Amino acid sequence: MEPRIGVFLCNCGGALNNIDFEAAAKEVSKLPGVARVEFSSSLCFEEGKQRMVSCIRGDNLDRVVVAACSPNFQEPGFQEVIERAGLNRYLLSMANIREQCSWAHTGDVTAKAVKLVKMAVNKVRLLQPLQTKEVPVSREVLVVGGGFSGVSVAVQLARVGFSVTLLEEGKVLGAGMSELESFYGFDAGQVINGAEMDERIEILTSCPVLEVTGRVGNFTIRISKDGQEIVRKYGAVVVASGYQTKLTSGSEAKSGRGIVSQEEFCRMLGDSGLARQPKTVGFLFDFSDESSRFSTLATLNNALTAKTKWGSEVYVFYRSVKVDSQGTERLYREARDCGVVFVKCEAPPSITAENGRVKVKARDVFAGEDVVLACDVLVGEELYLPAEGTETLSSLLNIRRDSRGFFQDENVHIYPVASERRGIFFVGECRGDLGRPRVLADISSVVAEVHALLSSGKMRVETEKVKADPQKCVACLTCIRVCPHGAIQLVRADGGKEVAGISDAACFACGVCAGICPAKAIAFQGYRDEEILAQIEAI
Amino acid sequence: MKAMDKQIIAFCCEHSAYAAADLAGKLRLHYPENVLVIRVPCAGRIDVIHILKALEKGAAAVLVMGCEDGACHHITGNTRAKERVKYCNMLLKEIDLDGRRVEMFNLSPNAPHKFVKAVNEVVNTIRQLGR
Repeated sequence: MEPRIGVFLCNCGGALNNIDFEAAAKEVSKLPGVARVEFSSSLCFEEGKQRMVSCIRGDNLDRVVVAACSPNFQEPGFQEVIERAGLNRYLLSMANIREQCSWAHTGDVTAKAVKLVKMAVNKVRLLQPLQTKEVPVSREVLVVGGGFSGVSVAVQLARVGFSVTLLEEGKVLGAGMSELESFYGFDAGQVINGAEMDERIEILTSCPVLEVTGRVGNFTIRISKDGQEIVRKYGAVVVASGYQTKLTSGSEAKSGRGIVSQEEFCRMLGDSGLARQPKTVGFLFDFSDESSRFSTLATLNNALTAKTKWGSEVYVFYRSVKVDSQGTERLYREARDCGVVFVKCEAPPSITAENGRVKVKARDVFAGEDVVLACDVLVGEELYLPAEGTETLSSLLNIRRDSRGFFQDENVHIYPVASERRGIFFVGECRGDLGRPRVLADISSVVAEVHALLSSGKMRVETEKVKADPQKCVACLTCIRVCPHGAIQLVRADGGKEVAGISDAACFACGVCAGICPAKAIAFQGYRDEEILAQIEAI
Repeated sequence: MKAMDKQIIAFCCEHSAYAAADLAGKLRLHYPENVLVIRVPCAGRIDVIHILKALEKGAAAVLVMGCEDGACHHITGNTRAKERVKYCNMLLKEIDLDGRRVEMFNLSPNAPHKFVKAVNEVVNTIRQLGR
């Protein structure tokens, strides 16, 4: 049956004055299949929309082309309009005669506008309706990592009504939290207690993840527990695997001779029974790697505490102090005012051991002289790295890491806490050096995202927007390998043959699989080969 | 037919180049009107057949425009597109057509100037190549 296409032209309230709409309408009405051409100057206003609806109904139109502004801007709006008129929302194609025609060129552009409409008409003729359906999702959430972010997320998720399993590979929750406690001024015990008291949170310690299968709303996760294996279903996974710090290799070699890590130094500061308080304390930072917000904060905090608590002489050897996180500038000034000496050097200082003390020799760039200092304790430079096991976790989850090994840190497109796989979220310092304010913001946004995804217990998805034809699929696994969103797996087709099955819920509709499929078995509605070629046909 | 009457097809990723082209229009950064944009969800959707068919239908050049390197909305779509463009260049060479008729560009959605520069570049190349 020949389609009845309605073409709606809009001049955007007279803003497209270099198109002759009368001539364009005449040309467009000659195109095969076009049953009606309507002109409006305010299609996106309510009266324009109503007129569209009555035209579609009155003329029994079954496909619609809107020649107006950019589909990036108004497509969802017009989809709703044709849905209101009783058409499937996917039977719409837009011709961008505003941004990419009228506004982009000078002089009369009627001919180009007609061409763009022709391309859209060619495409709309081939479009097929798509249905949406609801799929059930599990309301259980798995949180991986029992540090500050993990525990806080678990508590907040439980508070909005989810059942949470909090998984920690180590023996206890919050093992690294005590160090942060002193910088940030929160009570680690209280945070952990909040999770332990909540009956909606199940805490599993010494339990690593073994395998992750399934898709959003329905992940199957194998966990090792006391030498046994447990299998659970979860709707979403929140990863809060955290970070670790390591003394740089140079200082590590000499460790034990008065060179300590920030963590060890923190412990010394907290130890009231310390045999001998160090008289001279040195700090190194920002030499071998760009200093992290965390190490800046740790250095400034510890330097200040050593000065005020012990009255020691404190020297900080640094290349540059980055004070971009909140409160760091104030801390830096306070440390200077209290008498902490900052020695700026370009090259890393040379460090030698001398009579049980550590001798630091550095060239002060401001004084232009060498500074030699014998320290009782030297706090070494620390690198800020992803937590141990991050690599394993990334391969279990099938999620890429950035160049420094963190999750999602450099990903500017897929939104802060969400990942390239729907239903898997990242929170806290496993995403890189964030600093506490951003971590806190992340925690709230993860809770909001999980809530939006799972709270109703079901998820509305487009049915078979991207579909592999079981007849054509030869199960070469290419699409499974290339899918950036981990949405494809092998499934058994009706005849018993194994074919690629694309999960509607996990699919982001990018079409990478359709572009690469050697058997041309994957049809992506709206961007099938025929539909793209039909547009080319119109040039 | 004048050389400039030939169409140039630009396959634009809706997350980057298509938005950049929209912005170019909004800023009235004018470019030749024989550039026709086809919107795709990701540059990685574009296959060799689409590029070759466009040339066969009489396009003077085909541009594939995706996200910046390392910032692809679909992680690897732009690198796959680049490979396909390279492959097309090779095929064109075999039939003695200039490889510059098919080009890949990476740009971000807030780079309308880069979009205009890219299309102008191609238009100039085609002008030199003739036909």
